[in-house]
Amino acid sequence: MAADMRLPTARKAVSFSVSSSDRKDLVVPGDVITSDTGFMRGHGTYVDEDKLTASVAGDVQRVDKLICVRPLKTRYNGEVGDVVVGRITEVQQKRWKVETNSRLDSVLLLSSVNLPGGELRRRSAEDELTMREYLQEGDLISAEVQSVFSDGALSLHTRSLKYGKLGQGVLLQLSPSLIKRQKTHFHNLPCGASIILGNNGFVWLYPTPEQQEEEAGGFYTSLEPVSLSDREVISRLRNCLLALAAHKVLLYDTSVLYCYESSVQHQVKDILKPEVMEEIVMLTQQKLLEQEG
Amino acid sequence: MLKSKTFVKKTRSGGVVKIVREHYLRDDIWCGSENCTECKQESAVLQRDACIESNLCSYPHYLIPDTNVLLQQIDVLEDPVIRNVIILQTVLQEVRHRSAPVYKRVKDMIHEKEKHFYTFTNEHHRETFIEREPGESANDCNDRAIRVAAKWYSQHLMKSQSDGDGLRVVLLTNDQGNKQKAEESSLLVYKCEEYIKSLIANPELVDRLALSNDDKNEISSSKVLFPEHLPLSKIQAGIKSGCFLQGTFRASRDNYLEATVFVQGEGEDSTEVLIQGLQNLNRAVNQDVVAVQLLPQSQWVAPSSVVLQDEGTAKDDSAEEEEEEEEKLKISAEVARKPTGKVVGIIKRNWRPFCGMLNVSQIKESTRHLFTPADRRIPRIRIETRQASALVGQRIMVAIDGWPKYSRYPNGHFVRSLGSAGDKDTEQEVLLLEHDVPHQPFSQAVLSFLPKMPWSITPEDMAKREDLRRLTVCSVDPPGCTDIDDALHCRQLDNGNLEVGVHIADVSHFIRPGNALDKEAANRGTTVYLCGKRIDMVPELLSSNLCSLRSDYILKLYFRGSWLLFHGFNFLLLPFFPSPPYVLVQASLTYAEAQMRIDDATKNDDITESLRGLNKLAKILKRQRIKKGALTLSSLEVRFHVDSETHDPIDLQTKELMETNSMVEEFMLLANISVAQKIYDEFPDCAMLRKHPAPPPSNYEILHKASKSKNVAIHTDSAKALADSLDMAKVDCFPYFNTLLRILATRCMMQAVYFCSGMDSDFHHYGLASPIYTHFTSPIRRYADIIVHRLLAVAIGADTTYPDLMDKHKQSALSNNLNYRHKMSQYAQRASVAFHTQLFFKSKGILNEEGFVLFVRKNAIIVLIPKFGLEGTGPTLKVEQHTFSIFDKVKVTISLDDSNIQHQKIRMALTHPVILGVSVPTPDVEPQAKKSKLDR
Amino acid sequence: MAGLELLSDQGYRIDGRKATELRKVQARMGVFAQADGSAYLEQGNTKALAVVYGPHEMRGSRSRTRHDRAVINCQYSMATFSTAERKRRPHGDRKSTEMSLHLKQTFEAAIMTQLYPRSQIDIYVKILQSDGGNYSVCVNAATLAVIDAGIPMRDYVCACTVGFVDESPLADLCYAEESGGVSSLALALLPRSGQIALLQMDARLHQDNLDSMIEAAMTACKGVSKVLDEVVRQHLQEVSVLSRE
Repeated sequence: MAADMRLPTARKAVSFSVSSSDRKDLVVPGDVITSDTGFMRGHGTYVDEDKLTASVAGDVQRVDKLICVRPLKTRYNGEVGDVVVGRITEVQQKRWKVETNSRLDSVLLLSSVNLPGGELRRRSAEDELTMREYLQEGDLISAEVQSVFSDGALSLHTRSLKYGKLGQGVLLQLSPSLIKRQKTHFHNLPCGASIILGNNGFVWLYPTPEQQEEEAGGFYTSLEPVSLSDREVISRLRNCLLALAAHKVLLYDTSVLYCYESSVQHQVKDILKPEVMEEIVMLTQQKLLEQEG
Repeated sequence: MLKSKTFVKKTRSGGVVKIVREHYLRDDIWCGSENCTECKQESAVLQRDACIESNLCSYPHYLIPDTNVLLQQIDVLEDPVIRNVIILQTVLQEVRHRSAPVYKRVKDMIHEKEKHFYTFTNEHHRETFIEREPGESANDCNDRAIRVAAKWYSQHLMKSQSDGDGLRVVLLTNDQGNKQKAEESSLLVYKCEEYIKSLIANPELVDRLALSNDDKNEISSSKVLFPEHLPLSKIQAGIKSGCFLQGTFRASRDNYLEATVFVQGEGEDSTEVLIQGLQNLNRAVNQDVVAVQLLPQSQWVAPSSVVLQDEGTAKDDSAEEEEEEEEKLKISAEVARKPTGKVVGIIKRNWRPFCGMLNVSQIKESTRHLFTPADRRIPRIRIETRQASALVGQRIMVAIDGWPKYSRYPNGHFVRSLGSAGDKDTEQEVLLLEHDVPHQPFSQAVLSFLPKMPWSITPEDMAKREDLRRLTVCSVDPPGCTDIDDALHCRQLDNGNLEVGVHIADVSHFIRPGNALDKEAANRGTTVYLCGKRIDMVPELLSSNLCSLRSDYILKLYFRGSWLLFHGFNFLLLPFFPSPPYVLVQASLTYAEAQMRIDDATKNDDITESLRGLNKLAKILKRQRIKKGALTLSSLEVRFHVDSETHDPIDLQTKELMETNSMVEEFMLLANISVAQKIYDEFPDCAMLRKHPAPPPSNYEILHKASKSKNVAIHTDSAKALADSLDMAKVDCFPYFNTLLRILATRCMMQAVYFCSGMDSDFHHYGLASPIYTHFTSPIRRYADIIVHRLLAVAIGADTTYPDLMDKHKQSALSNNLNYRHKMSQYAQRASVAFHTQLFFKSKGILNEEGFVLFVRKNAIIVLIPKFGLEGTGPTLKVEQHTFSIFDKVKVTISLDDSNIQHQKIRMALTHPVILGVSVPTPDVEPQAKKSKLDR
Repeated sequence: MAGLELLSDQGYRIDGRKATELRKVQARMGVFAQADGSAYLEQGNTKALAVVYGPHEMRGSRSRTRHDRAVINCQYSMATFSTAERKRRPHGDRKSTEMSLHLKQTFEAAIMTQLYPRSQIDIYVKILQSDGGNYSVCVNAATLAVIDAGIPMRDYVCACTVGFVDESPLADLCYAEESGGVSSLALALLPRSGQIALLQMDARLHQDNLDSMIEAAMTACKGVSKVLDEVVRQHLQEVSVLSRE
């Protein structure tokens, strides 16, 4: 089999325009943002000898009197109503622990899931014993943030038919800051696959279910083989997403779709080659600009 | 400013290891020339008008010597004429690897402002850095680096010169290939000889040129006298596999055909390998590190007891004669065979310039002459000089350049002249140089650290120190002593106890650690006492004035060790060290004066009372010490009565001991031991102590042999047994026997040495029978005492430490130096005594004296003459009728043999007992004795 | 053979630096996509890779959980090929355990752990090539990785080793200097406030010299911090420019 060899090349330095090369709103840890005491201390800052000082590297954001520094990259900070994709890490009494790329594992209470048998079903002690039958360690789920605990941990729920256990598909773990907040994070893309853009940066790609109305109860997963064409589409989408993420393009249905369209002239495996990646992303960005304009 | 470049080096350590090191190239390394306008140097070293008058280069120029020139011609380069030299880093590094002494000399030159030597860090300069090319040897690479740097310099100077007055650089090399290549790249290059010969100012420099390889070829005769030395790689392989041994070569003083190689084994044990015969010695010179191969056991021999000196003529063809002599050696080899070997290679030469005299060649026009070093362990050296006639009768210094295998003698070159032989100053200079005693006057830097005169105790010092002026403190010293550093007091306390105080001058108050004065003192290590001359360790202002405790009623700063002595059932010592006080010395007495006061019953003043108390206590202390097994040994020390004007010795007498001597000594010992304990308790890791190891049993052989000859038993199991049996050893009608035995016992002893307590575990002082000992009481004349003072000062909270004091490795290195200096000063002292003895006998003419046989050798006896403390070799060639045994009383006639001005000898000839053909009649008929000499 | 001359009379060290000069420092942030933060740093020929995971749920034994702050878990390791002679270094090597502990202490001083109760921050550092100053290079690399991970810190932590030769301190020792029998000191500093996060020395040194050593180390650390600062700002701009487009 022919192997693809690449020689190391020097990274191209990103060219800065003069105006952006000296941006004032970028701070690094230890930078004093202001010594004016009239401001309130937000995330990413601390007060040291009456001076508001940055504790992370990022850009300064000011809302009224509140100053915070948003780091470029961070763990997911959940907000109520966010759609997340997560993985079960632990089954405890009356709850599952879910890894959602946040600082602490999220909690999915037994009482926050829809169990088979209708919404009005009473939960018994038996359910507690059979929790593992519904969801076990390593299972992936989609869920919504129900509330945030005081220590920052999230409480999730799957009390909607949209949410629940995920079956066959591909998971991508990207930076949460790349996911654009939208009305819906579930999309059936016209190219023949579906996507869940979790707010926590986890993205789930899966074949579009044939029957939209299927009553799966959230815990049934189809083990039927996925057709080659579906798999190819999913693979291409995955690589497109990675390409976009590498160039820090915000992810939402349109950008993904445009990227997909721009990539069709290349083979799936070529998409991740840097020069191809660059080309595709450029095309995507152009399309996005055209669409906006 | 920083250009980085990495290069790869391969070294072998077991396997092949790739070592990657960074190598930064800079563009802020300046050329160092005053003339340069480009470089932003602060102070240029190289002069603008760098003129050395030369036939070859009439223009101002800088010199760039290559490594070999620097190594071989260092003597020439040291001449003040040679100035404005650029030493390249490449060259300096290589010199550092190849020869530590030369490296030090080069560094000294660089530091000397007058010389205008500049070090150019070429390997880190952006434009002169070169990379080693594949297949290029390290040497070639270095040569290229030197050429590149020279090239850079010439271009740089050309470019930066404002007026272009033709300042140039001259590359000096002895390597033909290098020279050629340099010429190809249009550099100005000369051979060192060429250049030096062209110098107008100083034609005498030519003599100092070391012979280079080419010259040696000229001398080459067909005959190869010595086996080839093995290359270093083979030697190392041999040492690893165990077929060769590595050791220090020590030529015998008595026999030029014999030497021992001292092989340091694993840990403590070390062996000595005997080497006999010119072939086997194979051009090794005293103190070289050599590789030896052991001969098969059947060829082992015993050290000969023949005294042989190389009297060979200047020609090489004295080989036959030598063979005869070698034959003679072999006969003696029957009993007591020792491991014998031959030198197969030299690992490291340890050549230094040697003092000695020129043997002028018989051929008048010849420029080659033989030089005889003063040290008899060094072979004669062939040198080339045109001023032979001027150098006759002068003491000169000569350095060895090499010893080719076809030459009977090593080749060398003239370094400098010291003065005419026999002259007292010259001789003194020679013996100071030979014993490596630093004796230059103190430099300005050193003197600048002396306190400003007039000096008095500052009020701060007064406040910190206890006022002990009320005590009756007196010092007791030999007459004429000016560096008095110890004083004593003794008083009765109210409760009946006695308090004794030993006061030692607080020299460490004046010598602060780390300054030039301290460094100089540390280097000198000890004051050297020669006859009629003292080489001070510290400047005289300190030694004889500020720190010396004369009773001139000036307040002095002290260290004090005091003891409370309780009278009662037991005799108890309680040492304590109060903070340093200042006191007033009430009286400075000589031993004799003190003795008179003690004996004079009519005197009852404070000082006398105090002396009596001390004397009484000293006797008790001594008794205790002897009970513990301290040795009382004997050696003859002589004292010259010196003519006050000519400084010629007029009379000579052995030193006399009085009770008061021992009194002072006793308290000094006590102080030393107490201080040793104190500083060891406080600093177990870095206390400077002194130990005296027990001698190995084999050392006592001569003593046993000697005592058996008189049927006296000597036990040497322990110090105590030895001391007791020495006390018992008495032979009727031979009162001097005991002293002789003690003299012999002294010879059996090991050297006492300083050491750092953190580096050793055996602290025992054998001679004093003390578990711990140090030197504390003579800070003016011994550096070890200053260190001990500082330690004590820290221990009692009177001073603070400094880094080197607490570093046991540095302490250890320091004690090694002190041991070396101490040893050398003793040798120098003995040599000085010997020289003065000769002067004395010169004035006395011929004397007849009684003596005792000390050792018996195969063809000589060594005779001790108690009256003069003189030891000499008497001749006995064929002793059939008479057998000499040890301690026999003989009569000899003594005279000075000045036929050889270099080695003037005390000639001894036997007059009684009468032995045919050996002894001489009592009157002073020219003795036919072979030779006799001062042994030490 | 005489040992190496660490500081020549002309004031140059073996590799041509002056006493106070640092080695060339090069660094990159965000070298791994998977980790929360990562950085690669070269200081001369010492090269280190630092990776940060977290803050995340406690892994392993729950007993180490602190309810008021995050626990920092450091692991230091050396690649087998990092030294001149290859050497397998299985886990539990005493030296790396010690180094891990030092790193942990250093970062506990700098990271605002109280913001993340009951969680854990993992810092993994690997030396890819070792040429002296391993500790300081690890600290410097880890600082960048922590910043990359967006974990709040009071300030950068910059570290540097300083050796003492001939009465003068040498900054940022290379391996040849470290092995030349120099007493050396490693110092981690929060440069803006001048607070010392960690000071470690296991050689003997006289008290009188300590101040000058620390002084030199602090200057060296500030030098390092300047370089790191540049790297971080560069990285910030690159990323923010990208995401703006």
